[in-house]
Parts: sequence; C-alpha cells; structure tokens
Amino acid sequence: MRTNYLFPFNSRYVGIGLVLLHVPIKLLWDSLYPKGDDYHDPTAENGGFLFSTPHLFFIGTTLMVLVGLFLIAFSKEKIEDEQIVQLRLDSLRWAIYLNYVILLFSLVFTHGGESNHILMLNIWLPLLFFILRFQWVLYKQKRSAKSDETRL
Amino acid sequence: MKNTIRIERAVKNITQADLAEQVGVSRQTINSIESNKYIPSTVLALKIARVFEKGVEEIFSLEDSDLH
Repeated sequence: MRTNYLFPFNSRYVGIGLVLLHVPIKLLWDSLYPKGDDYHDPTAENGGFLFSTPHLFFIGTTLMVLVGLFLIAFSKEKIEDEQIVQLRLDSLRWAIYLNYVILLFSLVFTHGGESNHILMLNIWLPLLFFILRFQWVLYKQKRSAKSDETRL
Repeated sequence: MKNTIRIERAVKNITQADLAEQVGVSRQTINSIESNKYIPSTVLALKIARVFEKGVEEIFSLEDSDLH
C-alpha cells in the first residue's frame, strides 16, 4: 500500500480535544482581559508588540484550533481504502472551491481592515468545510449501506 | 460499468462484510460497488474476481453509457 501521509486514526480525538479545550481558555482570557484583543492589533493603543503576552496568547489559541482541525481533517479512517481516498479528495476540492468563492467575494466587497478578518476566516474555513463535507458523505454512505443490509 | 457481485456473493453464500474482509476494503465500499455508485480500481476489481475464482470480465462489464 502506498504511503498516504495521514495521521493515525486516534489523533482525531487529540484534535477534537484541542478544539474543545480552546473554548474555555478563550472565554476565561476574555473575561480576565476584556480588551485583550487590542494588544495584537498594531493600530490600537498599546498594541503592536510582537511578543506581548496577549499576542502570544492569541498565537497559542489560534494554533490550538488549527492543529486540532488539521488532526481531525487528516487522520486515517478505520479502514482507509481507495473509495475513502476518492471521497477525501472530492471533499478537499469542494473545500477549495468554496474557499476561493468566499475569497473572491470578500476581495470585491470589502476593503481596509475588514479584509484582514477575511484572511483570518480563511485560515480555518477550508479545513472546517472539508471536515463537514467529508463526514457528511461518510455518514450518507454508511446509512445507505445499512439500509441495503436490512433490505437484503 | 455494471457488475454481478451481488449474484456471485449469493452463489458463494458470503456477505458483503466477508467479501470486504477478503479484499481488504470496508463493507461500505463493497456496497457502493454493488449499487454502481463507485467504480473500483483495476487492482480491486482483480482482487474481487479472484475471490470468486473468475475472470474480471465475467464479473465487471461495460455499459452503453461507458462507450460514449
């Protein structure tokens, strides 16, 4: 079997853990430092320090979500056969399509500071859409296999 | 492309899960192939034919729509 450069099956649970863990940490941080976001915005007062604590926190939580989504998206299925490979590629193609449609729209309809937010959105949107689409087709496939089993 | 896997399975009296295990894929994949939703690779088609001890063309055949 060819190498498929995917993470082991169980790494999806680490990924889910990281994404879930980021929520209470972020909530706690926001309640402690309500204006914390200003510190990684170079245009804000007191902002612009690359290695200030709020900015490091921002990098840390963003990395948690990204690594988490990455592990969920690219961990092997229990049986990683050729059909799964095809569904995976198909979902990846749809994720890229959607991402570029959103990018193009935002390029046309936003300007200035707003476009930075779109860039942030684009960091995790393709991964999230890929995961949702891939899991949806897997679910549909399992359901149709199950209904065939009861019918036969 | 159509196939006679469902019939061959009935003759040999094996389940989708049995066949899936013998050729190293998931049961869902066998189900998709049987219902013509997925076209297997040449390697997988040959493996399936081997389980039924038949030539690959006895199990898989082209349809008119494949020829255009």
